[in-house]
Amino acid sequence: MNKHLIATALAAAFLAAPLAATAGEAELMARIEKMAAELEQLKAELKASVKKTEAVEQRQQAIAAAAPAPAPAAAPVMAAPATEPAVAASAPSTIFGAYGEINYNRPTKNASGAQADVRRAVIGVEHRFDQKTKMVAEFEWEHAVVSADDKGESEVEQLYVEREFGNGLRSKVGLYLIPMGLLNTNHEPTAYYGVERNFVETAIIPSTWREVGVSLSGDTAGGLTWDTGITTGFDLGKWDAAGSDGRESPLGSIHQEGQQAKSRDLSVHAALNWRGVPGLLVGGSVFTGKAGHKADGFTANDARITMVDLHTRYTPGRWDLSALYARGQISNTEALNETLVGNPTPVPKSFAGWYTQAAYRLMEVGDYTLSPFVRYEQFNTAKSYAAVPQGLGVAASPDEKVTTVGANLKVGEGVVLKADYQKFKEDKSRDRLNLGMGFSY
Amino acid sequence: MRTPYSRALRLPAALLLASLAACSGGGGSSSTAAPSPTPRVVEAGLSQAAKLGELIFKDQSLSASGKQSCATCHSPDNAHGPTNNLSAQLGGANGDVQGFRAAPSLRYLNQNPAFFFAKDGTPTGGIDRDGRAQSLAEQAERPFVAPHEMANASKQDVVDKLKKAPYVEQFRAQFGAAILDNAEQAFSRMTFALQAFQLEAPEFHPFDSKYDQFLAGKVKLSDQELRGLALFNDPAKGNCIGCHTSARGANGAPPLFTDFTFDNLGVPRNKKLAATADPAYFDLGLCGPDRTDLTARTDLCGAFKVPTLRNVATRQTFFHNGAFDNLKDVVAFYVRRDTNPEEWYPTGADGVVQKFNDLPPEYRKNVNTTEVPYNRQPGMAPALSPSEIDDVVAFLGTLTDGYKSKP
Repeated sequence: MNKHLIATALAAAFLAAPLAATAGEAELMARIEKMAAELEQLKAELKASVKKTEAVEQRQQAIAAAAPAPAPAAAPVMAAPATEPAVAASAPSTIFGAYGEINYNRPTKNASGAQADVRRAVIGVEHRFDQKTKMVAEFEWEHAVVSADDKGESEVEQLYVEREFGNGLRSKVGLYLIPMGLLNTNHEPTAYYGVERNFVETAIIPSTWREVGVSLSGDTAGGLTWDTGITTGFDLGKWDAAGSDGRESPLGSIHQEGQQAKSRDLSVHAALNWRGVPGLLVGGSVFTGKAGHKADGFTANDARITMVDLHTRYTPGRWDLSALYARGQISNTEALNETLVGNPTPVPKSFAGWYTQAAYRLMEVGDYTLSPFVRYEQFNTAKSYAAVPQGLGVAASPDEKVTTVGANLKVGEGVVLKADYQKFKEDKSRDRLNLGMGFSY
Repeated sequence: MRTPYSRALRLPAALLLASLAACSGGGGSSSTAAPSPTPRVVEAGLSQAAKLGELIFKDQSLSASGKQSCATCHSPDNAHGPTNNLSAQLGGANGDVQGFRAAPSLRYLNQNPAFFFAKDGTPTGGIDRDGRAQSLAEQAERPFVAPHEMANASKQDVVDKLKKAPYVEQFRAQFGAAILDNAEQAFSRMTFALQAFQLEAPEFHPFDSKYDQFLAGKVKLSDQELRGLALFNDPAKGNCIGCHTSARGANGAPPLFTDFTFDNLGVPRNKKLAATADPAYFDLGLCGPDRTDLTARTDLCGAFKVPTLRNVATRQTFFHNGAFDNLKDVVAFYVRRDTNPEEWYPTGADGVVQKFNDLPPEYRKNVNTTEVPYNRQPGMAPALSPSEIDDVVAFLGTLTDGYKSKP
């Protein structure tokens, strides 16, 4: 299959879809406008309802304060019955959630490499202390079995407290997901197409990427959301030039994940996302920070890691279209790479990738939804290297180009069955068939 | 609540963790490793036991000849290794009994783990070329009483000599007034003191070679040295890092140039060793004869411990049997052993090169012939050209301790 043709077709679909959505379909437009009006009305009603609730709560609090012997404050109760009169809000204050995925990969040119894996099982806990303050935690097990002798990992993937200040402002403190790309903050298996997460957002953007820090976010009129924060960053001292991890995912091999993270150097991040048109998201983000941490005798203490991304997603009608570009850079690695000459995996100066993806909601029967999709991506984890004396360097890698064709079959809202085929342009031995099951609630 | 007991254990435990974490020998790095790469107790000066260890280390009167100390074969002036090119050092009452193995350097053994089999079955660690001593103290026992070394008749004999040493009162003060009444205990305190000296004295692990300073960004390697480093690291060329790690650990620990494993190189038989006059004599390393607990593991016969390459350029005798006396030949042996075996092994009456002739025929299959640069055959090009061998030798010269850049 000609990858360029596919890329062009996807780009064309991307451009053509909105036209198709608007051309001629006056009736559809009218319906949308009607729905928009209804939405506005609902918003207004909701606002009024919230005000009413607040007023009731204030009255209740006043009564409670006046009461001579108030009952001791009830501990947070999980799944408290909605009918219980003491609880003002009908929602429970502590909510448990979970997601998980089990995948099967079968390399088409090497069937002996076929593998089934309980890729991840995740338990999420969200506790709302009050209307404005909540705690979010996510606990994850990867690869089924975790022990000193097994390959699984057990990890705290998120652990933060978020406080809302009003005016659309909110702040997080703790271990939280870096707002970059489309997948990192939205990584449940029901949220993306294909059995495996895309390469650009795993090899270039090291999803699931989280750091310990403080963030401030806000919404503005016109559908603009902004995020900014200061967090821990990467530890370049962990770079293993003799191994292959750095070639699979440069940042994934030196992330710290809140595990006794070196914090002499902190990083900053910022993201802007615009949702001003229904169904459309356009955004970009940047993350930058030094990664040497003034380690004693380390030659790359001035190395700076910078990641940027641009992304968009558009969901007109039955279409779900997205595209993303991500690029990372590690500066000031000349002296470090000179100490690593001859090793197969020196520190890259740049790594980058992009993809475009189109999915179409083809069939909806009962609560089954079948969405075929195609994705084309290019990525390179070693696009360039800082100069080393002639003859001692490693050649930059060629771009890997991967085409993924498959379908997601959603069962209700929480369960998805997936199947796809991935074709690699450079390393053809990686061509594979994937099957997967995922759920999220 | 912290008990006094746990407080007392804290420092040694931290040092132990630091040293274990620094080992790349498949022990599994502990995520609780202390952040400091190198234990730095030395700045506080040597403990009393270590000071006694230094006196014992340099005391020639503790030998049968009265002329040999630890420092004779492990000279502080030559990276605590031998100063001559003898295949094995001479000892005994008259200083004329030849040993069986080349004396190693005692440098950088402070981070050497005790012997163990890694999860994948790889034998790892231990002191001595066959890893049989579990600690530096245990290693220090044999030279005192081995007939070809300091040749004392017994531990009692050693302690009797210690009683006449000028520092004997210090020894008593440290280990108890009655310590010399029990030879077994007194002898164990001597080896304990020697171990303390080796662990504590910075001269045994200075990490101040040109390469260390290069890793810290303080000096540049010459073009030839840098080319040599690249060939050393390159998995398709020298592939020396397969066993001799050259990069800092993830915790910043300086490389030790050994992964503490064992390898079977098929080193040629060394006629300069008197023991080889007996055609039935074979030193098989892990499976004997010095080591006795693994004799049944015939698959390990011929495997010897991978030594650190730090200070290798100061040596004039190489490999367990001292079969080589210059570094260039050693590097050439690695890359030409399989492409040009006639350069290293004698040819039999039948005209066939007797490859791996220092092993009994049944154990020759144990020799490593699969990894780069051994994975070759006659007619193929060696992994390194003669000029590349020179480059690697030049690089190895940067591993010598005590480098001072020219002002």
